[in-house]
Amino acid sequence: MSIIKLKNISHWYSDNRVLDNLNLEIEKNKITYILGSSGSGKTTILRLIAGLEVPDKGEIYIQNIKVSETNKIIVTPDKRQLGYIFQDLALWPHLTVYENISFSLKNMNKSEIEGEVKGILSLFGLDDYLQKFPHQLSGGQQQMVAIARALALKPKILLMDEPLASLDVKSKRKILDYIVSIKEKYDLTIVYVTHDHREAFAIADNIVVINEGKIQESGTAEKIKNSTNDFVKYFIEW
Amino acid sequence: MSTDLFMLLLKSLAISGIVAFISTFIGIVLGFSLYKSDIKYRNVFRLLILIPLFISPYILAVAWKDISVLIFDIDTSLFKKTYSFIGMILVHSTIYSPLSILIIGSALSNISKQMEESALLIGGFKDMFFKILLPLIRPSIITSFVLILIFSISEFSVPAFLGIRVFTTEIFTQFSAFYNHNLAMLQSLLLIFICVFLLVSERKRISNSVFLSIGTRGKEVKLYSSRKIVIFSYIILSFTIVFTVFVPLSILVYQSFRTGTSKFMEALSLLLPTISDSTLLAILGSIISVFIGFVAAYYSEVLNKKLMNLMLLILFAIPSTIFGIALIKFYNNSILNFIYSSFGILIIGYVGKYSFISTKLIGNSIKQIPKSLEEAAVIQGIGFFKRIRKIIVPLVLPSIFASFIINFLFCFGDLGISIMVYPPGTEIMPIKVFTIMANAPESLTSSMALIVFLVTILLISLLFFIFKKIIAKYNVNY
Repeated sequence: MSIIKLKNISHWYSDNRVLDNLNLEIEKNKITYILGSSGSGKTTILRLIAGLEVPDKGEIYIQNIKVSETNKIIVTPDKRQLGYIFQDLALWPHLTVYENISFSLKNMNKSEIEGEVKGILSLFGLDDYLQKFPHQLSGGQQQMVAIARALALKPKILLMDEPLASLDVKSKRKILDYIVSIKEKYDLTIVYVTHDHREAFAIADNIVVINEGKIQESGTAEKIKNSTNDFVKYFIEW
Repeated sequence: MSTDLFMLLLKSLAISGIVAFISTFIGIVLGFSLYKSDIKYRNVFRLLILIPLFISPYILAVAWKDISVLIFDIDTSLFKKTYSFIGMILVHSTIYSPLSILIIGSALSNISKQMEESALLIGGFKDMFFKILLPLIRPSIITSFVLILIFSISEFSVPAFLGIRVFTTEIFTQFSAFYNHNLAMLQSLLLIFICVFLLVSERKRISNSVFLSIGTRGKEVKLYSSRKIVIFSYIILSFTIVFTVFVPLSILVYQSFRTGTSKFMEALSLLLPTISDSTLLAILGSIISVFIGFVAAYYSEVLNKKLMNLMLLILFAIPSTIFGIALIKFYNNSILNFIYSSFGILIIGYVGKYSFISTKLIGNSIKQIPKSLEEAAVIQGIGFFKRIRKIIVPLVLPSIFASFIINFLFCFGDLGISIMVYPPGTEIMPIKVFTIMANAPESLTSSMALIVFLVTILLISLLFFIFKKIIAKYNVNY
């Protein structure tokens, strides 16, 4: 059953067409990887789903509700029940870990907010870092805080834009394991963008390979590995 | 256009062009020495070298006139014929060189260390400097030249004090002395056209380059520690500080006290009543300018709506005296007279003229904030005003304070607008000094200039102290 649908989406940056009549369905409670090289349009897909970009053509549905259509945002980003982890993590550098996570919590009293933040952070083993600032944390810890912040609002969908690109293999593996466990715990649908096919093969339920704004292949890791598409073969060889 | 007017325009452009050239050249040499050579006490040098920027132009004019009289015996020497011309170039270059050092130094600090090092591996220092470094900072060199040219051609107090007939003084004379409003307006339009043309073409050429960054963080700057460069830097920086700060200030102190303390006390009693009003007006003007500057910067850099920015740029390019005339023409009527006859007219003048400075400084900081920081808040349902208050403002706080201080300095020392529009019964410092010094003995003039300098430094130090505390509280120096 799909939770996100992109119908006939085309999108341009100035004269450069980044998505070309793209149709894509993301299954509920699965980890879907969007694989592609730089400039292939994968980040644009995430930004369109999040509502940070308006599609130049086509429609987007989340949980069967039309959220965007040609040149129009119908449901604003904050109402789409999703979390977004940016490539640069976008942690607010002047706020502590506690403030970063509690910033968006509304309609709660102080002790409820405190309980909520501590609960999320304990999941990631970051209980001792409440009062630290982002620059005082390691790269891996910053990733965890970014994920924790995205989960604070209990989203149904988690969009991740290559957030592990700068990490070493060991830290990356550790966080990928966390991602799998939080997906189960929070009943999440995860859409993960990367150019690293090994990462995708390791944990993805579904993989979508994209090139020059068009889907080249989609399916399970096994299907991608055995694809006859020239681009896919070339891409995963590297 | 009459020949006389044309010659006057050429003369004004020539003087300002020379000032812009000298200041920008100094900006390149000292900017490199200050920002790229591995010298000790860099912050002390930086603070001292920037002092002329904190001083109202006419104060330095007073000091250099005193020096000319003492050293060159103006009344008898051949130097008399040209001292005003040279004096204006000297004073303007002294005042505007620190601005060039700031702009060019800021650009030099933004160059990646690797770029210079890879150039050094291929060619020598000379090749790296002329073929890599200078072309990379070319936008800042152009910005520095054009801005200083506009500042110099628009400046009123120095030529007025030195008695030089340039475009700004001529407009003032036609308007205030001969009541020839039509000619004054015509001359004003011509000068506005030149300034706007210069600034707009400069912006068009280098619209996206950072003109001044406050607090560039996390960048590795290549510092040159070769003995030759370091010694050269120490010599050139020390010489500049002695020449542009210590000599004029020493002369002011000497002239003020050479006959005892009576003249200084007299100057103090004359200026004391003006300090509170001048400070209050400058603070109010700066607060509103920073607010408007922030709004325009956000619209321009985040929402990509540049109209407000362009309007502020045009107002900024209009010389002060001309801006004053425009305010008189607009507000001097029965409906708006309540503004015209109050402090409000001065505030409007300051805000209109100087908000662009805030827009540029804050805009450059906003430009450096990753878009994702605000987008992350949007996705999390943080409202617009909370995003501005809790994310954008704290991140650009150093620029907000820097632009407040620069605006304060401009408002506090403004003579061009103030002299045109100050309401009757108002006593503000620059007007008081300017009107008294026309007929006052040198020692009284020097004492007043010295007091204005001391008050300015005191207020700036106070503002720095307060802002440092606030910045520490908001942990902006992450």
